[in-house]
Amino acid sequence: MSDAAQVDDLTQVAANLNKLAEFALDTAKNLGADAAKISTGASFQKRLVVDNKEFTLANSLASRSIGIVVHKDQKKGSASVNITTEDSIKHAVESALALAKYSVPDPALIFATKAEAPPASPLNFLYEEKLATVELDQMREIMQEVLGRLGADERLALERYEMSVDISFHALGSTTGMRQAERQTMASWSFMGMGRTGDEVTGFDYDGNFSLSAAGILPRSLVDADQFVKRVLGMFKPVRCPSYRGPILLTPRAVQELLMGMMLYHAGGRQVMDGKSRWDKAVGTRVVADSFTLTDLPHDPRFSGATAFDGDGVPTRSQTILERGVLLRHLHDCYSAKRCGATTTATSGGPFALSLSPGDVPLKELTGGQSQLLVVDRFSGNSDPIKGDFSGVAKSSRLYINGEDRGSVTETMISGNFFAIADAVLGISRESEIVSGSFSSPYVLIDGVSVTGQ
Amino acid sequence: MKQILQQLVAGHSGFIELRYHKRTANSFVAQKGRVDVANHSVTEGVGVRALVGSAWGFAATADISEAAIKRAIRQAQYNASALAKVRAKGELSLARGRLSHLDFTGPGFNELVAMPLADKLGQIVSLERKLAQASSHMHTARCRYNEIIEEKSIVTSDGAACSLRLAQPELSLTAIAEKDGERATGQRGAGVNGGWECLMAHPSLHDAVGETAKIAVDLLAAKYPEGGQKTVILSPAVVGLLCHEAIGHTVEADFVKAGSVAQGKIGQRVASDLVTMADSGNETIAGYAVGNLPFDDEGVETENTVIIENGILRSYLHNRETAAEFGVQPTGNARAWLFNDEPLIRMRNTYLMPGTRHLADMIAEVDDGYLVEGAGSGQADANGEFMFGTGYVYRIKDGKKTELLREATLSGIAFDVLKTVDAVSQEFLWDLGTGYCGKGQAAKVDAGGPYVRCKITVGGEQQ
Repeated sequence: MSDAAQVDDLTQVAANLNKLAEFALDTAKNLGADAAKISTGASFQKRLVVDNKEFTLANSLASRSIGIVVHKDQKKGSASVNITTEDSIKHAVESALALAKYSVPDPALIFATKAEAPPASPLNFLYEEKLATVELDQMREIMQEVLGRLGADERLALERYEMSVDISFHALGSTTGMRQAERQTMASWSFMGMGRTGDEVTGFDYDGNFSLSAAGILPRSLVDADQFVKRVLGMFKPVRCPSYRGPILLTPRAVQELLMGMMLYHAGGRQVMDGKSRWDKAVGTRVVADSFTLTDLPHDPRFSGATAFDGDGVPTRSQTILERGVLLRHLHDCYSAKRCGATTTATSGGPFALSLSPGDVPLKELTGGQSQLLVVDRFSGNSDPIKGDFSGVAKSSRLYINGEDRGSVTETMISGNFFAIADAVLGISRESEIVSGSFSSPYVLIDGVSVTGQ
Repeated sequence: MKQILQQLVAGHSGFIELRYHKRTANSFVAQKGRVDVANHSVTEGVGVRALVGSAWGFAATADISEAAIKRAIRQAQYNASALAKVRAKGELSLARGRLSHLDFTGPGFNELVAMPLADKLGQIVSLERKLAQASSHMHTARCRYNEIIEEKSIVTSDGAACSLRLAQPELSLTAIAEKDGERATGQRGAGVNGGWECLMAHPSLHDAVGETAKIAVDLLAAKYPEGGQKTVILSPAVVGLLCHEAIGHTVEADFVKAGSVAQGKIGQRVASDLVTMADSGNETIAGYAVGNLPFDDEGVETENTVIIENGILRSYLHNRETAAEFGVQPTGNARAWLFNDEPLIRMRNTYLMPGTRHLADMIAEVDDGYLVEGAGSGQADANGEFMFGTGYVYRIKDGKKTELLREATLSGIAFDVLKTVDAVSQEFLWDLGTGYCGKGQAAKVDAGGPYVRCKITVGGEQQ
């Protein structure tokens, strides 16, 4: 089947899924459900894999799915299938109802109404016809050019490089009248590998990115490849990091791993609902350093998570979560909003495209102003979101002494407490980067971290 | 389905592998007196791999009609041909190993399938209620149950023709205790290759409600361990995590080819001579490990693969392609998560073999150290550097297990740490049955071992 035919086929599959979704909702009502929500999806993926700098696998996948959630006597059950026949859907509805029968009553169960979830304005940038018809041969040619960069230095041991182009369709509907649909094309790629020369092996590293346009694949891939090679080869001949308690500089990747998860946990409506958030009564008050402003931008094409509606079917919107350190809102889906007496923020399954605002300090000043400074690029460890404690290994990280880069470090652990460091910000860079297409962040200099070297 | 696949594979030139896979999964989560998840899912389809020259093509279809499978075969062959023209190598050979003809039904399969969902859900709700009532300090009780019912048929054009049916249930309990604004978490869990009765008989679930609540409450007043290089005794769960994350991944042959730290080390000493480590698809120590498989997703019968024998590196983990490349037999480690995933080299049950000592004697010989219990998440690196979290820690002082301490993070260079092992217990447990390994796709694995005494870096405070 040609790729153009596959796109036509997917369009037809999507149309059939819409019919099956209506069938599923009718079946749920006929079998006694008080309310039901249906989600459908169909996708076609082309994927090429390079192992050890050589093409090894070409892959074509077509998939479909239907998931149903039913409410019956204030009890919930759900089921999903990937065989999209009326018989399998009917069986799924029966299974969901059977589970609901033996569940526990919950008066807060709710689906978004048509009024809460009007048809979302489509994000036209999500679908590009030219990208939908990119052929395997075109993908291979792009990858061969990128491989030229990745293979230029024999010390780079490229374990895997892969690229995929996905054409997808997903839709939501409910017996409460909500109907949403979205289609998307996306090219995405990832690199994984390490440096190796003689017996010396560096740490493993990875990176990935995406493009919503066919024209964007090659230039963005080349930039990513260059950065990846530079980072991996920079890990040879690691130096010993001294043990100290003091400042560390977090790169945008480390900000995502170390700070964002904690911030979103405590701003999350589900955690507020369950009494797990430390910020449950903090809306309107300063919860982190006043240099932090955090915004969700679900309609911004720079982010792979951009979407017109959330998992409840409620149209998404841009919204600020933290402004100069002050918590402006909790992030609710319909269920947690009802439990908390709030309104949904259209973040079921989100937030979708987070951006931490840059500061006004040049990056060079941040690295230059400390007698000893660990620049942490990745954090591999454990965090206790309730207490805020974290402890783990600083990966792909470097030691600076009086502003001079002394090299990468190995066997270096960091530990501290999120609530303490989020209030101990020494500076935020004016430079900002998007991490793996999902999160935009500057570099953040924080104090009060325990660094344990060898 | 196996017969249909055999008919479809016949008459094709070149190598073709057909894998039918139906997964039925049921998931329940009860928390704070409500049911957050009560889900039943079925995922079914056929994955096709074709080899042309030295290139692989893959395609998958959720439509299991003969016509759709034939289309998927043509697509996989087309994909392989498209790549073959740019591959520098000529023909790729595949080691045969023992290609399976088994039709296998795993222990507990019929029992778990026959048990009504309502009974399982009812027991999960009941366990959550008991945990919530186990202490006046309980803030959150949570009970999670997952079961995977696997049905597969694998047929290859060079002779494998086998099928299996497996049941893999798992249960975990989490308690968050609170007092005076302080909170602490206790966790217990187990997963098995077996039925409901087998799951509930797992040693880690003995008095699970009481133990989970007690740990959470006792940790409320606990301090953190001090950081630095320490003498520690690792529990079976932590030993399993060390074997899987820090050693197992570095000996996966695809990773070895890419340049992992284990490359070129076969026959070399990488650990103390007390260390013998293996990855097994048919473990015989306890019989219930989750990673038990009669054959892998290339149709190769599994085995007990000894990776390190008395401290010497003996073997990597292979699929058919890498086995041919390394000139050895495949070890049955090719696994795919769903029908639309291609098989990758993955672990099964990874473990350190038990030794001759007793835990009590090992503790008695430590002047100042820790006993580390429970495994958290873990990661390891190409150079063998690893990090993993633990559940909680006991201080060992003057040969006695003393105060309970909060969780610790452990790190080190795997082969260096294994060289410091100076005692290995007789006591043995599979204890990572609730774990999933991630490598682009998930895999259900298990890991475990005896208690092991070694020196390791414990993360902690600097003044």
